[in-house]
Amino acid sequence: MRMRSQIRTLLRFELRDEFRGGEVGLVVVPFAVVALLTIPMAVGIDTPLLERIGPGIYWSIIMLFGVLVTQRQSSTAPTAARDMLRLAGVDPAARFAATTLATFVLLVAFEIGAGLATVALYSPALDSWWPLAALLPLTAAGLAMIGTIAGNIVSGLETKTSLVALIVVPIAVPLLLGAAQATEGLRVGAGILRWVLLLAIVDVVLAVAGVLTARPLEESPR
Amino acid sequence: MRARPIDLAAIGTLLTAFVAGLVVPPDAVQGDLQRIMYVHVPSAWLAYLSFTVTLVGSVAYLRSRSLRWDRLAGASAEVGVVFTGLALATGMIWGKPVWGVWWTWDARLVLTAVMFFIYLGYLALRRSFDDPELRARRSAVLGVIAVLQIPIVHFSVTWWRGLHQPPTVLRPDNPQIDSPLLFALLMSVAAFTVLFIALVTRRSNLAAAQDAAGESQLADPTAGAAITSPTLGGSS
Amino acid sequence: MTSPTVSLRSVAVRKPGALILRSIDLELAPGSATALFGANGSGKTTLLRVVATLLRPSTGTGEVLGAPLGTAAVETVRKRIGLVGHDTTLYPNLTLGENLELAASIVLGRSARTEAHQALEQVGLAAAVDRRAARSSNGMKRRVEFARLLIVAPDLLLLDEAHVGLDPDASKLVEHLITDVTSRGGSALVVAHEEERVKPIVDRTLTLVDGILAGAAS
Repeated sequence: MRMRSQIRTLLRFELRDEFRGGEVGLVVVPFAVVALLTIPMAVGIDTPLLERIGPGIYWSIIMLFGVLVTQRQSSTAPTAARDMLRLAGVDPAARFAATTLATFVLLVAFEIGAGLATVALYSPALDSWWPLAALLPLTAAGLAMIGTIAGNIVSGLETKTSLVALIVVPIAVPLLLGAAQATEGLRVGAGILRWVLLLAIVDVVLAVAGVLTARPLEESPR
Repeated sequence: MRARPIDLAAIGTLLTAFVAGLVVPPDAVQGDLQRIMYVHVPSAWLAYLSFTVTLVGSVAYLRSRSLRWDRLAGASAEVGVVFTGLALATGMIWGKPVWGVWWTWDARLVLTAVMFFIYLGYLALRRSFDDPELRARRSAVLGVIAVLQIPIVHFSVTWWRGLHQPPTVLRPDNPQIDSPLLFALLMSVAAFTVLFIALVTRRSNLAAAQDAAGESQLADPTAGAAITSPTLGGSS
Repeated sequence: MTSPTVSLRSVAVRKPGALILRSIDLELAPGSATALFGANGSGKTTLLRVVATLLRPSTGTGEVLGAPLGTAAVETVRKRIGLVGHDTTLYPNLTLGENLELAASIVLGRSARTEAHQALEQVGLAAAVDRRAARSSNGMKRRVEFARLLIVAPDLLLLDEAHVGLDPDASKLVEHLITDVTSRGGSALVVAHEEERVKPIVDRTLTLVDGILAGAAS
């Protein structure tokens, strides 16, 4: 019960800190939209081609720019704050869960924002849009977990943002493939169950890894 | 630097494999181009072996907190990244004459590329820490998570590429291998494995010496001794 | 005879290429307040972090609030330790009140807005409850950290650079925190540079030189 209460408290305040700062909504989402806008400038504005590859570009943007969401200022608590939480007896797994949940909420919002821009700019035609209600949260959950784990691994380092990106993106390849191939399946009317299962398996593996590694990472000597 | 028995064994087996690779007949279809296989396949084998050893070292460190396991994991990753890069390069060189392009999006090539960048991230993390224990703890966690993801990456890439057939029936890594070629291939795999053991043990020993040399002793001056009174402002 | 709040024996802290603490022998008796002085880079903060159980010593043994250093037992006593370090624990976009409410809720295990506001009033920040931490001065942030200690009510008080950023008014808070802890039978260890401000409020002073503690009565 105490752990749930800790997670709720940390989650509430972390989200509040982020909404006030607005880094995700006011910086990362516009940055992603700029990327979506500039890619056709580079590859050519062949409308049928963009319609076909738009979903794939969207998921690439989510993965690459999603790393910025996971490393936003409000998720990377200062060392003194982490010490304070350690002394207050906050379970490292609770801190992992709270940060991951906050990141998950923000990533879903980011996916929706970037998704609207993708629909506007690329006009992708999907047979069915409803499965996205599963794809978006599954991908966001995996990215949130791997981003939080990576953030804890590099905490205290100066070069952490770029290092986190290098760590997260290769490991997140199954998330990209699962989401992109499922969306492609929706576009051509093919089955997507195996890709949804892949995303779910990745999420479960990362959740277990995140909880098990929270304490060893927290107790690192400094 | 003295040559150890394992070093001599590595040199010996490599020379033998090199000669074997040159004297066996060329492939009936690909000709001498196929001889790249004697470097490409063992390199890819070492890429997977290195990952496995890094996983074992990482888990062993987390259980025992003994730094020698961390040094093993790090050494294996360093050697592994070299051979993963070699597997990629030879794969591309092998594929170019066949497919006319350097990169074919073949499932195994893509998986090898992903592994290569996972290695780079792991090594970049290790380089960022001065403190051996901090480096060991953080690297071990990443090592376990990264390597556990490899099978998932493998399946996802294989499923993905299973939807897209290669443009030609000809595949460089032809599974039908005649006995002499198979013998040369197995010699190469064995030689590369001995080389791996030699390189990893030497690198581990070097890391141990580096850590020992860097460790401060109780008789050393303290870090604070480097700070003296300023000479400006008339302070004494 | 009651056990010391803190007992360190031959504690050393070594980093790659740098010896921070050579051999620390330290005892903090219950009800005592100790000041720790030393030059820049002498290892005062490192020693404080060892005592706070946040940093494991390379060698040596010790107990903090009865829990041996480097064992799982330290997790049971951490809640009784109050630490204010160099840096702020505040989230920049939260208000001072929200930051303290977060800390208080974690410490007390329940919603604690009332306690947080009361503590802010006690440290003279009642009118700044809704000011964002990013827009607050270092002195104000420091007062919030002290307000957190009022809620924690620690048995072991650790202050690093106690008076930095504090006006003379706020400096009284340091004295109050020390008196509060020692009157309850706890101990205080205060790192400071301004001897004239700290000496009157502690029982003894120690100086960290060349990785070893040299002591004197106050």
